[in-house]
Amino acid sequence: MIRLVFIVFLFIAQMGAAQSIDADLLQIKERMDGVKQFSATITLNLDVPFINMPTKSAKVNYVQGKRMTFSSSDFVMLPKRGLDFSLSEIFRYPFITVDRGIEKRDGKSLKVINVIPTDKRSELALATLYMDVKAKRMVASEINTRKEGSYTLFMQYASVKDILPSYVEATFAIERLKIPLNFMGKDTKIDRKKMRSMDTKTGKIKMQIHDYHIN
Amino acid sequence: MKSLLLAETMKIAKQSKTYYALGAIFLIELLILITAYYQGSTILDLLLDNLKQSFYFEGTLLNGNLIMYIVLNSLWFNVPLILMIVTSGILTDEYKDGTLQTVMLQAVKKWKFMLAKYIIAVCFTLFVIVFMMISTCVLAYSIFGKGDLVVYLNTLNFFESYDAFRRICLAFVSGAIAMVFYCIVSITLAVFIKEAAKTWIASALFLVITNLLLKVDFGLKVVNNYFFPKLIDTWQQLFYYETDWLHILANNMVLILYSFALTIWGIVVFHKKDIG
Amino acid sequence: MLIGNNLSKTYPSKKALEDVSIQIAAGQICGLLGRNGAGKTTLFKILCGLIKPDKGKVIINSKQPKPVGGIIERPGLYNYLNAHDNLKIFAGIQGVATDRDAIHQHLLKVGLPLDRKDPVRNFSMGMKQRLGIAIALLNDPECLVLDEPFSGLDPIGVASLITLIQRLATEENIAILLSSHLMGELSRCCHYLYVIDDGRIVNAGTAVQLINDHISSFSITAKNISSSSTLEKYQTIQGINEVKVVCNAKEIPFLLKELLKEGIEVTACTPDLTLEELIKSNR
Repeated sequence: MIRLVFIVFLFIAQMGAAQSIDADLLQIKERMDGVKQFSATITLNLDVPFINMPTKSAKVNYVQGKRMTFSSSDFVMLPKRGLDFSLSEIFRYPFITVDRGIEKRDGKSLKVINVIPTDKRSELALATLYMDVKAKRMVASEINTRKEGSYTLFMQYASVKDILPSYVEATFAIERLKIPLNFMGKDTKIDRKKMRSMDTKTGKIKMQIHDYHIN
Repeated sequence: MKSLLLAETMKIAKQSKTYYALGAIFLIELLILITAYYQGSTILDLLLDNLKQSFYFEGTLLNGNLIMYIVLNSLWFNVPLILMIVTSGILTDEYKDGTLQTVMLQAVKKWKFMLAKYIIAVCFTLFVIVFMMISTCVLAYSIFGKGDLVVYLNTLNFFESYDAFRRICLAFVSGAIAMVFYCIVSITLAVFIKEAAKTWIASALFLVITNLLLKVDFGLKVVNNYFFPKLIDTWQQLFYYETDWLHILANNMVLILYSFALTIWGIVVFHKKDIG
Repeated sequence: MLIGNNLSKTYPSKKALEDVSIQIAAGQICGLLGRNGAGKTTLFKILCGLIKPDKGKVIINSKQPKPVGGIIERPGLYNYLNAHDNLKIFAGIQGVATDRDAIHQHLLKVGLPLDRKDPVRNFSMGMKQRLGIAIALLNDPECLVLDEPFSGLDPIGVASLITLIQRLATEENIAILLSSHLMGELSRCCHYLYVIDDGRIVNAGTAVQLINDHISSFSITAKNISSSSTLEKYQTIQGINEVKVVCNAKEIPFLLKELLKEGIEVTACTPDLTLEELIKSNR
């Protein structure tokens, strides 16, 4: 009986803890919401197997509540995931957070939380966020989507005070990236064996973000 | 020699089949342009649809550079076939009309006469490639504008506009050398076969076999590097992301050597043959 | 002068020429008579240097860059070009003057009009032959070799071409060799005749001598020939307007005189000599 009460108490306590959104996350969100509008220049480098692209540059425009827009004088491919600085995708639908403790990365102590959306409409299945509580900003995240696989984001900042990153690295599994075959080229076969046997099965998109104009 | 070259130039300029060939090549370009104009975006969207699931695309890939690249792909079969038919006719028509006999009855050296034919055939081929390049360039860039080029060659390669244009120009140069090789083959075949229709069949067969042998792995490095079918696609190597410039230059040099060797062989055989 | 000594040529299918010797002097018109496949064209190709003989040699006493000009089988012309451009090309490739006046001279020499601008494919056979001769005469060769120049021509065309050939021989002092299987045409214009059969020369001599030695009948055309009594002494075959009379060359002058005495109005007297007779006579 006592054992049962104890278990129920733990469960309720856990539920209580989980049902609230992590305060640090909310602080970071609030800080990000302070940025109503910004524009910046992104320098893009693709490190994806079977895709070769020179370093590209694009201008990005963000207005709170609206989709990010891009402009470039030449062709550029920008990752759909990885530019969501405002955490809008996470906050779009209700969720609960679970504290996973502290993790040390690159000499920094980062608070790790799990974000679990409670609404089935959410495109996210689970997100793990690594937060620099002192600087009140996101350092890394591991996002698992329902339909479009998983990707990780890693962010670096130019100075301690910055809320917007100067460097973002998005990493994703390449199986999700379908490369069109025989695309107006020689009739060569994509080396599927080579692809399968590859040690690194991930692709990376590295973005340097600079010349911020924040309003 | 100069008078022989002038005579050959006059003959090729006054024949209607020359203009049929130019018209055919121009028609191929127009068809590519029209298809690209009306269906290019749809085709590109279909081809890159999966990538679009993970990426935003900014800028258009349907541009003049892509059109030029597609036209370059006519160098696999369409253009060399047309060229081989016209250039082999430089000699087979003379056999058919009996003018070869008439020429040999004049104070003309056989080897000079044959050399002039080879030279004019080469000049005509180069003219056709230049015509193809300039006409496509003008139409493609004026209709579709500039932009990055995407090419799939084992990997999906993106080239910036200025880099793509430079590679396309060099590809036309390299492709021209391949076309010159083909035209010299067609004339050399004409020296042996003499009849027009049979020479066309032999030329087409040569073209098909060369394209097939291009994909065969012969096992020996020397053969894989220097056998002539392996050199025909040199122009396409300019669109590998990691471009081996030295290898491309070497390939073109070897192809030029093949062309010289075939020219000498053709002249020697023609010189030894009885006429009539 | 053009000389061919002991020329022989063998092809896989047959022996085309066997020990053929031939000689044409400047200003002389020689005829080469023979059936189809006798070896005429092969001999001409050897004389022009198009093919090499297996044995024998060709001697040409000439310092011209083009000692022998000719037409073999048919005139090879660029059908898509006009006469002017054809001459311009063939003249140009051997360094001969190609200016308008020079080309006009060549056209006039062979009696071709100056104002025809249409391509040669529209020309008649006779005009093509003339143009072929004009091209053969480029660069002033001393010898002219014409293979079957009368083939495809009507009688007026033949007569016109014979006039041209005779003029070239006498005025330009060119040694001319013609070939044909047509006895009548060659006998009219040639000083000397060779008869070739199966790759061998089977008969040779001046045209007059060959005809006189081998003629055995004449065709006489006259309005009232059927009423002649003179002809009763001869073997005859009656035609509609003519009679074929068996008699040799020595007898014909007397026969004609007798017919004239009778009042028979003779309008034509043609020797009936066939190639077969010339070939048979020397076997």
